[in-house]
Amino acid sequence: MVDQKLSVPRYWRRIPQYYRLEGVQCVKCGRIYYPPRAVCECGSREFRAYPLPSVGKLINYTVLYSVPSEFEKMKPLVIGIVDLGGVRVMGQIVDCPDPSKLSPGIDVEVVFRMVKMDGNYGIINYGYKFRPLNSC
Amino acid sequence: MFNTTGVYIVASSLVQGGRHYEKGLKELFAESFLKALDNAGNPGVGAIYVANAFAESLQDQGVLGAYLADYVGLRKTPAIRIEGGDGSSGLAFLEAYNMIRSGIYDCVAVSGVEKMSDVTSIRLNKALATITDYEYEGFFGVTPAAISALAMKEYMSKYNYDYEDMAIWPVKMHERGSANPLAYMRRKISLKDVMDSEVVSEPLRLYDTAPAVDGAGTVILCNKPLKNDAVVRVDGVGVGSNGTYIGQRSELTMLHSVADATNMALRMANTEVGSVNAVEVHDTYSILGILALESMGITRPGETPRALSLGQLDPGGRVVVNASGGLKSMGFPGGASGMYELVSMHMELMGTKPFDNLNAEVGLVQDMSGFDLTSTVILLRRVS
Repeated sequence: MVDQKLSVPRYWRRIPQYYRLEGVQCVKCGRIYYPPRAVCECGSREFRAYPLPSVGKLINYTVLYSVPSEFEKMKPLVIGIVDLGGVRVMGQIVDCPDPSKLSPGIDVEVVFRMVKMDGNYGIINYGYKFRPLNSC
Repeated sequence: MFNTTGVYIVASSLVQGGRHYEKGLKELFAESFLKALDNAGNPGVGAIYVANAFAESLQDQGVLGAYLADYVGLRKTPAIRIEGGDGSSGLAFLEAYNMIRSGIYDCVAVSGVEKMSDVTSIRLNKALATITDYEYEGFFGVTPAAISALAMKEYMSKYNYDYEDMAIWPVKMHERGSANPLAYMRRKISLKDVMDSEVVSEPLRLYDTAPAVDGAGTVILCNKPLKNDAVVRVDGVGVGSNGTYIGQRSELTMLHSVADATNMALRMANTEVGSVNAVEVHDTYSILGILALESMGITRPGETPRALSLGQLDPGGRVVVNASGGLKSMGFPGGASGMYELVSMHMELMGTKPFDNLNAEVGLVQDMSGFDLTSTVILLRRVS
């Protein structure tokens, strides 16, 4: 069984980010941050919620073979950096049986997927991953 | 800070990195701590700073300071554990340095200790993921190896290098390590060995990765030299930070925390990078060693693999890089890594075998947590 120690509240409090890719926008200067933060580079502490766009471009990626324990059954993982409307997000690239067909600049969309299971009897953790718009 | 007192490394010791199944944190710590203390002539230490990153995840042990001090009979000596991921040792050194510099203690010990072989590698990967922004990186399976691989790919494409060009790092490190009796990997390797090794995170291969080891190292710092012969003085310390979430970075080929820490250390020592003869960089992955050198200003951006293959950073040159063989050869003992670099540099400056031909006077030691999260740079000078 997977080796996890993620509690329900710890997962639950990130649902706006994991489920909706919700970042924040500074009310004063308009900068957008993902993950959310408490103070903007301009010094302002006032933010509004800002869901990131669901389509973006792949900037760079790697195929990871040596994975943490809870991802053993899913390896290899494709880890990529994606530009979503000017904001860079790291995450898994999925639905790509042949990662050699990936290349920087291709279009990807955000998908909602199971990330892992928590412990022997625990919850299933969902979150965002990225899928190439054209098959690969 | 009153800046009234000099700080000297008066002794050091290292347990050879390896799979010390028969020893726990206590035994590894005691072995290096007591040896360093003996080498220093047993001065009383006012405090012990312990660097360690993963004791909770790998040994289920907290409160490491008291736990370790008690074992060496120093129950009443304050012992403080410093955790800064795999950059813990540099940060512990900074704390110890501050305590002496401000006149609070005459002598203190800084020890790094870590036991990586208590768990399988897949469990270790999970512990290593804690040196990422876990909620947004580790949660999705990202590890420091994956981040380093992304940086390596960006570097290769930006400066037009093939993987074969990058493989010079492990080849050179193994060459140096083969002459270092304290190295874990003491075998020279060929380009083919690197190219044939398994892929960890494409394009990063096994030979780009410093092998996880158990280990411990200690330096004793005092406010005056304890012996009359050559000693090593701490002339500058620097620290820099650059946030956690890697997605937010616009580029991955410059380690800003390293650049800031270097500038701070050089400023404090009132010297320039050109005066440095020896450098030890934190090469948990070969690309991190390359980026560290460029961020410190030792080599120009994009130049390092070429400079290495031309032998410009070899012993005998203007500046020698990782004469010890780096963490690639010495092994990667988590939070104790920086102590391996510090003790190696102490030996290099003192001309201790096998470093008796380096003739280095000024050395820089760079330690770092994860990928450019928090870095320390320490400038050491041999004085008579």
